[in-house]
Amino acid sequence: MLQRHLKKHHIAIILLHWFNAIVWLLELLTGAALFSSALFRVAPAWYISIVAGIFGSRGHMLQFHVALGLTWIGVYLVYGVFGFRTYLSREVLQNEIALDRDDYRWLVVRTLGILGLTREMLPPQGVYNAGQKLFALMVYVMLPLVMITGIVMTFRLFGPAVVGWAVVLHFCAVGAVVCGLIIHVYMGAVFPEEKPAFFSMITGTVNELYAYNHHFKWWTAVKAEQRAWDRRHDAEAKPVPEVGVPD
Amino acid sequence: MARYGMVIDLKACVGCHACTVACATEWNLPAGEARTHVRATPVAGTFPALQSSVFVAQCNHCDRPPCLEACPSGATSQGADGIVRIDHTVCIGCGFCMEACPYDARFLNPLDKKVDKCDFCAARIERGQEPACVATCTASAKHFGDLEDPGSAVFRLVYEQGAQRIESTAVAVGPNVFYAGKPAQLALVQTSFPPRAPRLPVAGTSLSRVLKGLVLTMVGVTFAGQAVAFFNQLRTGEQDFED
Amino acid sequence: MKPDNLSRRQFLGTLTAAGAATAVEASAAEPRPTGWSGSERVEKIPTICEMCFWRCGVLASVKDGTVVKLEGNPHHPLTRGRLCARGNAGTDLLYDPDRLKYPLLRVGARGEGRFKRIGWDEALDIFATRLKAIKAAHGAESVAFFPHGLSPRFFSTVMSAFGTPNSAEPSFAQCRGPREIGYGLTFGQALGSPEPLDIESSKLIVLIGSHLGENVFTSQITAFGTALAAGAKLIAVDPRFSTAAAKADWWLPIRPGTDIALLLAWMHVLIAEGLYDQDYIARFANGFDSLAAHVRDFTPEWASAITDLPASTIRDTARAMGAAKPAVVVHPGRHVTWYGDDTQRARAMAILTALLGSWGRKGGIFLPTSIPKGSFDLPPFPDAPRGRADGAGSRFPLASEEMGVTNGLVDATLSGDPYPIKAWVVYGQNVLESIPQPQRTRKALASLDFVVVVDVMPVEQINYADLVLPEATYLERYDTPTVVTTAKRPFIAIRQPVIEPLHESKPGWWIALQMANRLGLDAWFPWKSPAEHLATIVEPMGISLLELQSRGAMDFPGRPYVEDRTADDGVIQSSSGKIELYAGDLKDVGADPLPRYTPVEQPPDGFLRLIYGRAPMHSFARTQNNARLYALMSENEVWLHTAVAAQHGVRTGDRLMLENEDGVKSQAVKVRVTEGIRQDCAYMVHGFGQGGRWLRRASGRGASDTGLMTRVKVDPLMGGTGMRVTFVRPVRVAAAP
Repeated sequence: MLQRHLKKHHIAIILLHWFNAIVWLLELLTGAALFSSALFRVAPAWYISIVAGIFGSRGHMLQFHVALGLTWIGVYLVYGVFGFRTYLSREVLQNEIALDRDDYRWLVVRTLGILGLTREMLPPQGVYNAGQKLFALMVYVMLPLVMITGIVMTFRLFGPAVVGWAVVLHFCAVGAVVCGLIIHVYMGAVFPEEKPAFFSMITGTVNELYAYNHHFKWWTAVKAEQRAWDRRHDAEAKPVPEVGVPD
Repeated sequence: MARYGMVIDLKACVGCHACTVACATEWNLPAGEARTHVRATPVAGTFPALQSSVFVAQCNHCDRPPCLEACPSGATSQGADGIVRIDHTVCIGCGFCMEACPYDARFLNPLDKKVDKCDFCAARIERGQEPACVATCTASAKHFGDLEDPGSAVFRLVYEQGAQRIESTAVAVGPNVFYAGKPAQLALVQTSFPPRAPRLPVAGTSLSRVLKGLVLTMVGVTFAGQAVAFFNQLRTGEQDFED
Repeated sequence: MKPDNLSRRQFLGTLTAAGAATAVEASAAEPRPTGWSGSERVEKIPTICEMCFWRCGVLASVKDGTVVKLEGNPHHPLTRGRLCARGNAGTDLLYDPDRLKYPLLRVGARGEGRFKRIGWDEALDIFATRLKAIKAAHGAESVAFFPHGLSPRFFSTVMSAFGTPNSAEPSFAQCRGPREIGYGLTFGQALGSPEPLDIESSKLIVLIGSHLGENVFTSQITAFGTALAAGAKLIAVDPRFSTAAAKADWWLPIRPGTDIALLLAWMHVLIAEGLYDQDYIARFANGFDSLAAHVRDFTPEWASAITDLPASTIRDTARAMGAAKPAVVVHPGRHVTWYGDDTQRARAMAILTALLGSWGRKGGIFLPTSIPKGSFDLPPFPDAPRGRADGAGSRFPLASEEMGVTNGLVDATLSGDPYPIKAWVVYGQNVLESIPQPQRTRKALASLDFVVVVDVMPVEQINYADLVLPEATYLERYDTPTVVTTAKRPFIAIRQPVIEPLHESKPGWWIALQMANRLGLDAWFPWKSPAEHLATIVEPMGISLLELQSRGAMDFPGRPYVEDRTADDGVIQSSSGKIELYAGDLKDVGADPLPRYTPVEQPPDGFLRLIYGRAPMHSFARTQNNARLYALMSENEVWLHTAVAAQHGVRTGDRLMLENEDGVKSQAVKVRVTEGIRQDCAYMVHGFGQGGRWLRRASGRGASDTGLMTRVKVDPLMGGTGMRVTFVRPVRVAAAP
């Protein structure tokens, strides 16, 4: 099963993911330098002046932050308009990120496990586990907030009162995503057990064993789909290996 | 380095608005907007014992400007020459600084929706000219110069002739636009146009006092929690998936 | 050959071989290269303003053919770089989308305001044809000319050469006429404009009905502000708590119409207490004994009951004047046509000035110094066998024939007496706003055969015109230079175009040349270009034209004070060489040789006297459409005393209408409730409530004071229309009919 691979991510999703990652990194680095007065700053003064120095002036730094942000929104809009059915509907409309009872149980067991407080087995998960689902849900709410507040600030819409609140919401939404990102990046890039997941974000596939262990409900559904397809195309049918028999 | 200031002589000023129009055309502001403002006190008293005064004000380029720290994007800064400037490439138009100014000297430019205010015509000063409002003032009521130069008109008016700051016991941020006038006139102006306490809009206070701390704490806690997990992982030696 | 519009470079190029002129630094001998101003390539061109009639120096910054900024010209000897709100807003006149752009020919009925656009050739041909026909049928005198300002000199020549003596500008009979006559009778010379007041050196400034501060003339405000900053005292006589009154050491809220009583009482105190300048009077004045006898009984107590001012105040202010003399300036006012006895009031002010020894003295009124001025050798103007129709010199014995009596021309047009008037040519005058009793003016306009209006903005009167000719604004044209002798250093200042005229507008000199040519009057126009015209005028002054065009103005040494003059230099220009305290000339025409107080009619019960004035951001009725100035003040308000407002149940911001004694109602106007006005007065800023719909911003905004002036009190001596005799009462806003 290790050798057989299941397609987990469409190439468009992969590209979008990494594009997102780079954008977020750059936006966070510049964004942290944008708050500058003592009352509002979130980074030390030396950091702020170094970053502004790289861009030559605070104005250029802001221009970069805005230009990149608008590009980011633009790309999402393109995906949203042209690729919704192909790439995104599966995730959003087909409830692949909705939480069920297994998910809630998983959350509890996983957290305690990470902190070293239990050795209980995790309940089965779909294509995305509960943690990933939570992250996705949070991102689905926060990213539009970041985009909308970004647009409000960039184009100074609806007057200073609204722009002022946009600053607040932009910061809070980014903060929430950063919290999620800390876990997401750790889980994806640092935690060894999830290495296949990391590579799946490059190759687009995971090996079957990984899917069987970590995303059992998904593996089951994919297998069922494969068998149904095989039955419909008898002439090309190949014997389906039994579960548990190593290749 | 000069420390710039202005003295407005209310004995002379007639409230003619030459300054507001000169300012608006110098800085391409839309009709009706200007970085300097002409006001008048209410008419005090009963006929015929009446008292009233014109009052012209603008950014005071204070010694301790409350607007500096209110600006979240760092667009507002103060130079060694005392001039408080707005970098319009960085202003996001949130208006926190407008609330922070005790003199309501800042305004929103309806054309670009960014905040604007007097900068003592810094670009003109660099060319050796006076601020536009001072040059045009029909009553010769506005005086501009270096408050640290004993030879300047503003030095004389402030330190020898007692031109006053518009301050209250509650709000004393060291404004550098001083006022000359008859004593009763200045008293009326002080009571009619006192500075108000600097404030931030709710968005600003919630961000600076609550949410910034909250968000940073959440991020810190998440990071800490994740670090604990990381050390756990190292300790228990989580196996690679292949194993 | 028809001269074209000349661009400024062409204009200058014909004068010098050195090339275009430049803006010159104050101390540099060599002009800087063109187009250099700091870090940007902007050309700064000096000229003089025409947003009002003070003609302050202006520096126009021009970038790529666009005027980007106006500011004061530091080289202008009077205004020295300062410029008022209107001057700063001149670009909004230049680029006003509502301004007249091309010649118009009336197609509807007169008053309807329906026009068809025509070309200049056709327009000028129509002008010449109609005028020649009217001359043939009714005589040249049947054409009346209504000019105003610096610019119409070219047209005046056309009209005089055409053969009509009937020319009248409102600055006389609606403005400063009484003071020119009154001071002329006393000191032998008129005051002129700008009046030679030495305010900046005054120790005490006396304002009688002048609201200097809301009435803004840049250099006079500078002098006012400088004097007050230096500690000069101020007396403000005004029924309203004006800006000046708020600065005054004494505010005298006088009962309107009683100023002469106050002046006589002041004279009484100065003489009775020996506070007048005895040496000065002995040296320079005739008729003191008659004056002293005349004022003996005009005590402060006598005046107190009349003026509604405490006797002690009258006495104190007289003593203050006596203590500060001769550095006391009794401001002669500018618009002084109030009650019909205005020449006598001007006489009283002149006498007071003389008693204080301030005529020709520092801090008072200084003496003008003439400078040589070139002129053209023109053939004599044709005689007018039937004489003038406006009454100047006849019905109004002392009226200036040079400036004319506008209302006299309206009268003649309506009555046909002394002879019918068939055509009006109006240049730069807004006859419906400048002359009171506009209902009569409208009737007069409707009765004419031919009406021509030459103007910059489409004010309501164009609806009555057969032909409307668009003139270029002051920023786009050359005008006769202003030669000011009533300055401590007399000077010449030029108006030169800073950009090419926009749309199809043309400068006045070109229009006048065209008119002259088609009327066969070329003999009176020996010059064919602004350059020639200016060169002739400047020739005897011995100055460099290049320098004049670079700086915008050049001044000469002056001899403003008595001390500067020798006996034959003429301190007093009267025929006797002395100040005539007692005006024998007045006696000769059957008037009081010494001013006498005669009571004026008081408002009937329920009515208030309508008084009016200026706002610092507007000039009369000409700036209300200017975008920047409109933003500063888009409509006027009526000031009512708190008690009066309470009586009528109105508060600040409410709207009401004013109704006069003839039942004429004003437009709806906002109320301003204030303690700062007498209970018998209602005050409005003039120039609002304009009709005509072509001024998209100004039309219909605020209320018109002029429209309420159905009654005037005409000064029998010089024809001035006293306008503070309208009584109004507040009424509820009526629904539009």
